Amino acid sequence: MSIQKTSLHEAHLVLKAKMAPFAGFDMPLQYTSVKEEVLAVRNEAGVFDVSHMGEFLVTGPDAVNFVDYIMTNDFKNAEVKKAVYSPLCRDNGTVIDDLIAYKLAEDRILICVNASNIDKDWNWISSKTKNFKIDLKNLSDDYSLLAIQGPKAEPILKSLGILGNSDFPYYSILETAHEGEKLIIARTGYTGEDGFEVFSSHNFAKKFWNQLLNLGVKPCGLASRDVLRLEVCYPLYGHELTDEVTPLDAGLAWTVKLEKDNFIGKAALAEYKPRFQLVKLSLEKGIPREGYAILDSNNNTIGKVTSGTMSVVTGKGIAMALVEKDKNPKDKKYLINIRAANYEANYHSKAFITGGHK
Amino acid sequence: MAHNIPAELKYTKDHEWTKIDGDTVVIGITDFAQSALGDIVFVELPEVGKTLNAHQAFGVVESIKSVSDLYSPISGTVVEVNSALPDAPELCNAEPYGSAWMIKVKLSNTQEVNSLLSATDYQNYLSTL
Repeated sequence: MSIQKTSLHEAHLVLKAKMAPFAGFDMPLQYTSVKEEVLAVRNEAGVFDVSHMGEFLVTGPDAVNFVDYIMTNDFKNAEVKKAVYSPLCRDNGTVIDDLIAYKLAEDRILICVNASNIDKDWNWISSKTKNFKIDLKNLSDDYSLLAIQGPKAEPILKSLGILGNSDFPYYSILETAHEGEKLIIARTGYTGEDGFEVFSSHNFAKKFWNQLLNLGVKPCGLASRDVLRLEVCYPLYGHELTDEVTPLDAGLAWTVKLEKDNFIGKAALAEYKPRFQLVKLSLEKGIPREGYAILDSNNNTIGKVTSGTMSVVTGKGIAMALVEKDKNPKDKKYLINIRAANYEANYHSKAFITGGHK
Repeated sequence: MAHNIPAELKYTKDHEWTKIDGDTVVIGITDFAQSALGDIVFVELPEVGKTLNAHQAFGVVESIKSVSDLYSPISGTVVEVNSALPDAPELCNAEPYGSAWMIKVKLSNTQEVNSLLSATDYQNYLSTL
């Protein structure tokens, strides 16, 4: 299969972005500097082209029941115009992907999934529709998606006349018409900051991108996006979440609502004794990287780093790691192996930084 | 993009530069290397006294998103280390040929410097990448 391009590919090349293949798409990793891009989102506003992500539309009288059935989190009780984050699990409770479902109406739901899992998710979800009166469409090629993130995202979108004056809380959505275009705007993101994700036509996205850049919004690549999500400890599929673990292994027990009616994975997850514990660790010196071993204070290997980087905000090496639950030390003393040496890590009960989202 | 390649230095295909002074050489990474790596946030250098073979890894530079080994252009013994650099890794981006020098090595085989690339050779090599 040839590599895919988003509608903004040409714009990224014009900006001389460092490009790399990601999930089958040629995507921008960074434009100027990862550090500058992270700080722009934390302090001002940045825009990400995340058009590679997948979108499925579920319509029909059973739409809510269907989405509630395929996800572990509670969707039935979410109000209309709300967004819900959830893992998508198999019958045995292992994670196929994580997603956000947007309740546009009781009979119309947009699901946004990871680019790398579009085919896997589509095959799974479309095989589960039998007992539901719904219509399911894969619109992944139809939408462009721009994420405008940072404390100045709201005033900037308001200055463009895109946001109305209606109340628009975090994790909710707005369907609106703007300059003859239908837009779906979600107050969601993957940075920990306030911000919006705008689903639109490809043509609108090209125009919108230029408008945002002209207003001083900084174009940001996937590298800064990864640092931003890791600083606030959001999991990433393929790292913290994989085919091998359940949400209960990866710190996502809050997304598994065992009290709700039947859902895929319920029976297995109700019985499941987690094998892993997700821990958040930082280093005074050195940078933890994916795959580095985690040890207890007796130098026994107990797990490994699932995501690691240098935090731009704290200036320290930070990591999320999966450790074997029965070996997880009560004293919370962890070492991280980097090349030939083991380094004492700081244990964090909360995310490394608190984002500014509303 | 044009990269700074001082004419008086010698280079390797691993993007290290060397400044030869009799039987010692100073070693660092090139402007191309720092630019390709992006924001450099961590540098690990060897101890004085370590013996190195040509092409052997002598240290590590890390950007926010990547880890890269540093390879010795020549064989010899480390006689001096830029101990200020690990506390200010951003110098690798700012002054790759200046304050971000990494190690000074006493050559064990002075003939080896003949295999290093001239500035022109290195420029030509970069144009093939």
